[in-house]
Amino acid sequence: MKTKKIDYGRWLLVLPALIVVGMLLVYPIFSSLYYSLTSKHLIKATYDFVGLGNYQSVLTDPNFYKAFITSILWTVASLLGQIFVGFTAALALNRVKRLKGVYRILMIIPWAFPSIVIALSWKWILNGVSGFLPNVLYKSGLAAELPQFLSSSSLVFGTLIFINVWFGAPMIMVNVLSALQTIPQDQYEAAQIDGASKLQQFLYITVPHIKVVVGLLVVLRTIWVFNNFDIIYLITGGGPANATTTVPIYAYNMGWGTKLLGRSSAVTVLLLAFLLIVCFIYFKIIGKWEKEDK
Amino acid sequence: MKKRVLSVLLAALMVASMAVGCGNNSAGKTENGSGKDGKLEGEITFWHSFTQGPRMEVIQAAADKFMKENPDVKITIETFSWGDFYTKWTTGLAAGNVPDMSTALPGHVVEMMDAEAIIPVDDVVDDIGRDRFAEAALSEGERDGKCYSLPLYSHAQVMWYRKDLLEKANLEVPETWEEFAEAAKTLTKDGVYGCSFPCGSGDLMATRFLNFYVRSGGGSLLTDDLKADLTSDLAIEGINYWLDIYENCSPKDSVNYAVLDQANLFYQGKTAFDFNSGFHISGVETNSPDLVDSIDCAPLPRINADDPVYGAETSNIPMVVWANSEHPEICKAFIKTLYETDTYTDFLAATPVGMLPSITGISDTEKYQSNETVQKFSNAEQVISEAVGLSAAIGFEHGPSVEAGLLTSQGIIEEMFQDIITNGTDVKTAAKAAEDKLNEVFASVQ
Repeated sequence: MKTKKIDYGRWLLVLPALIVVGMLLVYPIFSSLYYSLTSKHLIKATYDFVGLGNYQSVLTDPNFYKAFITSILWTVASLLGQIFVGFTAALALNRVKRLKGVYRILMIIPWAFPSIVIALSWKWILNGVSGFLPNVLYKSGLAAELPQFLSSSSLVFGTLIFINVWFGAPMIMVNVLSALQTIPQDQYEAAQIDGASKLQQFLYITVPHIKVVVGLLVVLRTIWVFNNFDIIYLITGGGPANATTTVPIYAYNMGWGTKLLGRSSAVTVLLLAFLLIVCFIYFKIIGKWEKEDK
Repeated sequence: MKKRVLSVLLAALMVASMAVGCGNNSAGKTENGSGKDGKLEGEITFWHSFTQGPRMEVIQAAADKFMKENPDVKITIETFSWGDFYTKWTTGLAAGNVPDMSTALPGHVVEMMDAEAIIPVDDVVDDIGRDRFAEAALSEGERDGKCYSLPLYSHAQVMWYRKDLLEKANLEVPETWEEFAEAAKTLTKDGVYGCSFPCGSGDLMATRFLNFYVRSGGGSLLTDDLKADLTSDLAIEGINYWLDIYENCSPKDSVNYAVLDQANLFYQGKTAFDFNSGFHISGVETNSPDLVDSIDCAPLPRINADDPVYGAETSNIPMVVWANSEHPEICKAFIKTLYETDTYTDFLAATPVGMLPSITGISDTEKYQSNETVQKFSNAEQVISEAVGLSAAIGFEHGPSVEAGLLTSQGIIEEMFQDIITNGTDVKTAAKAAEDKLNEVFASVQ
């Protein structure tokens, strides 16, 4: 019988990457899964196995559903805004002939800032007493009183979405612009000769060429935006009155606030399961597009 | 044969190296890790929350001096704000990443003792002089007759006011809550707010303000059996009182304010009244030097004018030595040097009147008294010193407890106020919900 020889050399080469992936991905997932089944408390030395008790507690907590709905709204609104602004900017930049590099750098600036700088800057700009923007609006007569962008329950969520769109649109723009530049120009020329309108060129040449890239961007941004923690937490801390508490902030408050690490882990596992389902649906759609293109 | 020789050689080498190792240990180090003849040797990490420049500089200078006197010692200092510090040590405890020594808040110390994360420091207290510390301050870190922390400095919450604004409006310094509300409402004009009421959920400010009111009526936010008490008549009265202040005298943005946002308004001259410790002096000095002569403080308002002066919140900022430390002897030796008269006075002078001495024999020294700010704000120093002796940390009126720490660290009372203000939730309903939530959190640590 002929036995297959194992090439240990190859395994040695991929071993460092395997270790890194194991440490950064597999370990946290399994430790979260494990802790979610225990009564693990952040500053208590001992804990017990509680089965699905943490899941039950989370799934019967109305605040979890409130945070979940806030997360969905946050993700959908931010994503739509980022795609609209990023896409429009990319289309515009694609037509620019002079100083293209300068425009690109200017438009990518928001993406280049660390979240902490963005959060504190906006917090300062929007401060309801001494902030630049409320004072400009008030003193110019555009607002009857100082607008409370971060403390009014009717304004705070929209304000955060605006900041997130401003922050995330450049990333969409750069990727869409790269995809636009791979479209062969002769297709547009041929379409023009055939008398196709600008809209037809966009729908039948531009969209098919970039839809897979945009689809993948939507997948990535959905995960990032849904899991986004820093911008919201640094600007409003999830308040006022939980108006901006998303699932990651809910999980954080559970783990590092009330120190119920087991329950917090259950939230993160539920979050992971939800995102896996969303990604599965997205990839099905993208796979279908790719098949159509072939 | 060759293998046998090699094995014997390796075994001999191992025995020799063990002997050398033992020899080094016995010759160079004592049991507790000190070098020969009690000489200190090793590296420690010190976490503190003295984020402002002068305090940080004095501590660094003290560490540098200590390292110069003990050349085999290295002290690495890491600084975190109080909020970050809490996250840092709780997560660090779970991950086994804690310092050798640190500052803390009294509420933290109880949790640290519960988690068996810190060690007793009675020997340091005795070396400095047990009778030099206030008994109440030491008791905040005491369990089973052992002291697990020692206070580095003390301060208390008092009422700060703008003398110039009161004079201009012909108002007296308020002594009761009613007078306070009246004055605050009168002074809310021309871009100045009478009093900001802060309730950002990431801080303890609303809990602090509510505690002032409840303590002034002789109540507590905790029951005798350490349950949250937000639905007592006094607490409901207090909640309504602060909601009235928020509605009529406070910037609406203060619903999100944490301690620094709140203090900044007073520093910038945008509030007529505020509640804080002597740290307000340095804040105003730095931000609005022209207002320094216009500020002063008085005892916290009372419900009735003839009620006795009381204290609602004293903070004795403790130092602790962590159980994980490999060199507790270095930590303890270094802590002792911080209490040496010269170093200690320099430290306090980094925020004069803000940090009051936690030990006797300092405030009456010539060096301490010669400080310009101490002289200028002698009234404030007296008011705060009296308040220090009249109270303890929030909830500590029932003795140190984890519940008292959780009362202030969860932001639940702050969320309650936010809920009432932004969602219009009924006061009693919101208070009951917050009380239940706090009790649920308390139960989780039993």
